[in-house]
Amino acid sequence: MILFEFEHENATSAEEAVTRLHEIETETRFLAGGTDLIPNMRIGIAKPAHLVGLGRILREPMTVDGEGWLKVDALTRLAEIEHSDLVTSAAPLLAASAHTVAGNQIRQRATLGGNLCQETRCLYLNQKHDFQFVEPCYKRGGDCCYPFPKNKKEVCWSVYMSDIAPALMAAGAEVTVLGAGGPVRMSIDHLFSGDGLRPLTLNLGEMIRYVHVPPMGKDSAWGYHKSTVRGGLEFGMAVMALTFRLDADRESCKDARIAIGAVNEGPVRLSKTEAAMQGQRLNKKSLTELAEMASAEVNPLPHHGFSKPHLRDNIRVYLRRAMEAALARAQQA
Amino acid sequence: MLDSPEKTTSSVLRARPKPRLVTLSINGEPHEVVVRPHIMLLEVIRDHVGLTGTKDGCESGTCGACTVLLDGKPVLACITLAVECDGMNVQTIEGLSEGGQLSDLQEAFLDQAATQCGFCTPGVIMSSKALLDSNPKPTVPEIKKALEGNLCRCTGYNSIVDAILQYSGQGVKPLMRKDGAP
Repeated sequence: MILFEFEHENATSAEEAVTRLHEIETETRFLAGGTDLIPNMRIGIAKPAHLVGLGRILREPMTVDGEGWLKVDALTRLAEIEHSDLVTSAAPLLAASAHTVAGNQIRQRATLGGNLCQETRCLYLNQKHDFQFVEPCYKRGGDCCYPFPKNKKEVCWSVYMSDIAPALMAAGAEVTVLGAGGPVRMSIDHLFSGDGLRPLTLNLGEMIRYVHVPPMGKDSAWGYHKSTVRGGLEFGMAVMALTFRLDADRESCKDARIAIGAVNEGPVRLSKTEAAMQGQRLNKKSLTELAEMASAEVNPLPHHGFSKPHLRDNIRVYLRRAMEAALARAQQA
Repeated sequence: MLDSPEKTTSSVLRARPKPRLVTLSINGEPHEVVVRPHIMLLEVIRDHVGLTGTKDGCESGTCGACTVLLDGKPVLACITLAVECDGMNVQTIEGLSEGGQLSDLQEAFLDQAATQCGFCTPGVIMSSKALLDSNPKPTVPEIKKALEGNLCRCTGYNSIVDAILQYSGQGVKPLMRKDGAP
C-alpha cells in the first residue's frame, strides 16, 4: 500500500508524455514498468503528486538497420529482450545482461529505459525509515550519511545497480533521449553523471526513447558476469561486462572495452586496463595479469556489507573468468 | 517521522485524485471496480473482489507471494497499480481449480509435499503455470530460473521442482498416496 495519493494518467505517445510532464505543475514522474518507482514510493524515497503512465504507448518492434545497429524501444520489457532471438544474435551482451535482472515477474514488467533510470541503492536509503532510523540521509533531505558519516552534504555514495548499463557501455551503445527540444542521440557513457544524488544526466521531462547497440563483428568477443550472493532475484555485488576485437591471428587484442557496474555511483570504464589490453596476446597468463590490473584500477564503494577488498577480489576473479569465456567463445566461432 | 509538518500539511491540502472505473476480467469473470490511482492490483483482487488466495507478503516486489497472471504473464500484484491494468485479463490461483476440484498442477504440489505453511504456494503455482504454458517440459535449471522470484521458507524448493517435473511427466513419481497417508 502506498500511503499517499497521487494523480495518474496514461500517455498515448512518448511525445505527449514529455509534453504533459512540462505542462503539469506538481512534481510528476514517468511510470514505465514501475518495478523500481512503486517500491520507492512505498518507502517514501519518491513522492510524486502525478504519474504519467507509459504502459499504453505502442512499443516499436526491435529492428536491425542496414549497418547492423540494433534499435530497441526503451519501453520494451526486459523479458522480451531476454527471449528475443534478434537481440541474442545482434547484441548477445544485452540479452545476457537482461537475463540476470531481478526475477521473472519483475522482468515481465520492467522496461529497458526504466532499468537505466533506476534509483541508486544503499542499505540506509532503500528502506522504510520508520523501521530503524529517525533521521533520513542526505539523499532524502536529512543531515547524515549513515555509511560514510564524514561525507559532505553534497556527496552521496549510494551505488547505481543497473545490470544492463555496464553491458551497454561495454558494447558501445548509444541512447536517444527525448526532451522538449526533440530527440538527441548520444553515447551511453554521457548518460551517467557519477553523482549519487543525481546519477543520470537527464533533465526534468527527458526520457530515454531508444537504445542503439552497434553490431558485433566476426572478430568480436563479449563477456558478462553478475556477482551475487544468492544467484537469483538480487541486486549485483559487482557487474562486469567486456567486449574486445581480435586480430587476424585470433589471439592478439585489437581493442577492448571493459565496464564495471554496481560498485560506484555509475558504471565505470576501466580505461587503463583497456589500453593495456590493446595489442596484447591474450592467453591465460596475460588475462590473469589484466584482471589483476582491473581490480586495482576500479575503486569500489563498500556497499551492502561488502568491503572494498572483497569487491576487488571478486572483480579480479570473475573478470578473468569472463574474459577467458569471451576469448574461448571468439576462438571457437 | 520522515515527513516534516509542512510537507504533511501540503499533501493534505492537495486535491484528492478522483476515483476512476477500472474494468478487469478476473478468472474469466468481468469486474468493474472504482479505485483511486494509488490502489494496487493486489488490493483490488483481495479487498474489492474478495479473492484472498493471492497473498500479501513483502509489498515491495521481493517475495513473489502476490504473483498473478496479467494477460498470461506472471507479474507482482503488490507493485502493479490497478489503474495500469484497465481492460486486462487477470488469472489468480482461484482460477486454476474447477468446481472445487484442484487442477493437476495443484495436485502435483500436494503429491510432492511441495506446500507446507502454504503462504508462498499460490505465487509459486502461478509462476509455475506461466512457465509450463510456454514450456511444457522445462529442465531443472529452467524451473529454477522461472521461480527465482518466489521465496519459500519451508520446503527448501526441491519438492517444488519435483512437483513441476511430475506434472510435466519427466519421471518423478508422487511422494504421497492419494488418500493423504505418506
